[in-house]
Amino acid sequence: MVVLRLRSISPGGVSTVPLFSMIHIVYMSRAVRPLSDQDLQLLLDQCRQDNAQRNVTGVLFYSHGNIAQLIEGEPAILEPLFDKISRDGRHSHVVKLVDKPIATRSFSDWSMAFHPLEPAGFEALEGFLLPGNLPASPSTLTIADAMMVDLVRLAVFGPDAVPTEPAEPVHA
Amino acid sequence: MPAGVATLQGPELRYGFVNDAMRAVIGDAAQEGRSVAESPGLIPADLLEVMQQVYESGRPFVAKAYRIPTPAATGSGAAIRYFDVALEPVREGGGPVSGLLLFAVDVTEQEETRQRAHELAIETRRLDTRLRVLTETVPQITFTMDAAGKLEYVSPQWYYFTGQPPTADLNAIWPLLIHPDDRLRVLYQSDAARAAGTGWSFEYRMRRHDGQYRWLLSRALPELHAPDQPVFWHGALTEVHDQRELAEALRRGEAELRFLADSIPELIWTATSEGFIDYYNQFTGEYTGLTRDELGPTGWINLLEPTEQAGAARRWVQSIASGEPYEGLFRMRRHDGRYRWHIIRARQLADTRGPRWFGACTDVDDQHRLREVLQTQYDELARTNRDLDTFVYTASHDLKQPLLNLRGLFDELRRTARFEDPQEAEIQDMVDGALAQLDTTLQELAATVQEQRGLSAPTEPLDLRSVAEEVLLGLRAQVQEANATVELNFEAAPTLTYGRANLRSILHNLLSNALKFADPERPAAVQVYSRLDEGGRPILSVADNGLGMVLLENQATVFQPFARQHPHIGGAGVGMYLVQRIITSRGGRLEVASTVGQGTTFTIHWLEE
Repeated sequence: MVVLRLRSISPGGVSTVPLFSMIHIVYMSRAVRPLSDQDLQLLLDQCRQDNAQRNVTGVLFYSHGNIAQLIEGEPAILEPLFDKISRDGRHSHVVKLVDKPIATRSFSDWSMAFHPLEPAGFEALEGFLLPGNLPASPSTLTIADAMMVDLVRLAVFGPDAVPTEPAEPVHA
Repeated sequence: MPAGVATLQGPELRYGFVNDAMRAVIGDAAQEGRSVAESPGLIPADLLEVMQQVYESGRPFVAKAYRIPTPAATGSGAAIRYFDVALEPVREGGGPVSGLLLFAVDVTEQEETRQRAHELAIETRRLDTRLRVLTETVPQITFTMDAAGKLEYVSPQWYYFTGQPPTADLNAIWPLLIHPDDRLRVLYQSDAARAAGTGWSFEYRMRRHDGQYRWLLSRALPELHAPDQPVFWHGALTEVHDQRELAEALRRGEAELRFLADSIPELIWTATSEGFIDYYNQFTGEYTGLTRDELGPTGWINLLEPTEQAGAARRWVQSIASGEPYEGLFRMRRHDGRYRWHIIRARQLADTRGPRWFGACTDVDDQHRLREVLQTQYDELARTNRDLDTFVYTASHDLKQPLLNLRGLFDELRRTARFEDPQEAEIQDMVDGALAQLDTTLQELAATVQEQRGLSAPTEPLDLRSVAEEVLLGLRAQVQEANATVELNFEAAPTLTYGRANLRSILHNLLSNALKFADPERPAAVQVYSRLDEGGRPILSVADNGLGMVLLENQATVFQPFARQHPHIGGAGVGMYLVQRIITSRGGRLEVASTVGQGTTFTIHWLEE
């Protein structure tokens, strides 16, 4: 199925763009019970394996029961996948923030960030990042989408994980 | 199990025939010929007594469910068994009683079943009482309704609430107490639920004892007797009047606020504590031409002028993180693609419902443009004013020499010429006076301007960088307008001994020219650098990549007053003339090199030989 939403808001004016073959979905939710290091590692493995076969990529944030995830891929795969995710008994209060066509992938390798109880074992884990070491949002995202990822990260990890930049002077 | 039978003979009641079943009951004590009194076996004492009495009276007796403790087969304590025991006197040939017939039928199971049923009945009564106490203690009205909609039971609370007498006909009165506006709906919904065999939950108003209608929540569930249809519905009525009134007031308040927000010709929005926009007012849709879904939770960023998006997004994330108010001046795209200046403001409201953000985008485009125009005009006037000041000064200065010459020539003329007419002497005096007056006027003029412009100030060692930065600060609007980068390099000769106001005036004119004549095709780049020549004398250059100009053989024309290289660009045309006058009056020299389409470089030799 192809999403026939052709009007995309792009800088400089409303323009018509070719059919997008990919979409991304961002949602936030609450874990039903706190996830242990083992749960999280399992989840990461599961995400990486399942989604590698279906060419789904993205990023998952977890902290103190707060979950946020961005998934990107073909709509025919992503939409049923999100249905499945939203029915998963391990979390509740699933709120979909965005579901829209994208021009290109921004998270070509699955990654995940959370505060492990035992950080030692996790630092070497592939695709894992400590919240404090998260890189800035990829530049392939539009500024509005990058801001959404930043806000989601802020909501999951709290203000400490947000890169602190000196406030710019107000535009004259 | 077959019935136990035994014959007991004679007044001593000696065992006669005892069948196996009876032997199992009494035990091995039942030996033929022994009296029951000697060998009662398991026969309890009271039965022995009754046997005796039956024998004596000759009246048969039947004991139902008579309790006989028997030793358990395994010896694990006595077991209670129950028997129907019949005692029948035996008469031989119509004579006196000669013995007894004893029958014993084991009814233990029946008796135990009966006893269990009895205990259950007691328990049921207890539960029933408890349920009744509970249903009559809770504040809700509880009821039971049958499949036809007839009320079987209603708890006393109903009578307290409605004020109806206990004799009231429930089924007739109940519908009448429902608010007329709700009555049909309630009857229909309850009827439909009963027909479908489901429970219900709906709210309606019922008249209280004081005549006031109060909102009640009616909930009921069917009691199912599988596989039959449900036969009863049990339910409760809860008064939800106050909650409902409150919710209604909230809804009304919210609706009014929303109407207000939608009526304001400004972009109004609210955001969640995470910073996602969850409401845009109607005007936002009208201004942007986009629906709520198209805008999305962060889509407002897309409306900003592209170069402003990243900064605006960063600041919003910081505001969400810190809770500090958000404020900024941005260009926002209208539905027709035009950008208009807006002040975007948002503040966080933190109350019991958790933090939320309320924001507004105010169109200040007209004010902004007006201010820009006024600023440009103000700058222009200020510059012109300054130029004119300096012009007056230099002009008065330059006129001094011709005046001096004129006076010399006139003196010479008076000395050598002959004037016969006495009237001519008078003219001479008048010319003298006019010349003196001209001289005074020029001096006063120069003094006035000098004082104003600080041209008479003594020279002092000046830090070129600090003066240049001061001048650039005054020109920041032009620098921004030309999107210019200005590079200052004074390392080779950082200081200069000169009049402060003069240096400022020179730098101001050269820099503003470099910005004014910038090539619109490319961002302006201006370099200002100082150095020392072979003789150790200071030199300063201002090089731009602007439009450039055609230089005539005689460079001096560039520096003539009112000589304008680019008539389409505003200016009085005295700037360069003044610069040159200041430099020469201080004993220096100004050079210019230029290529059309590439740029112009002015070089000041502060001190000539």
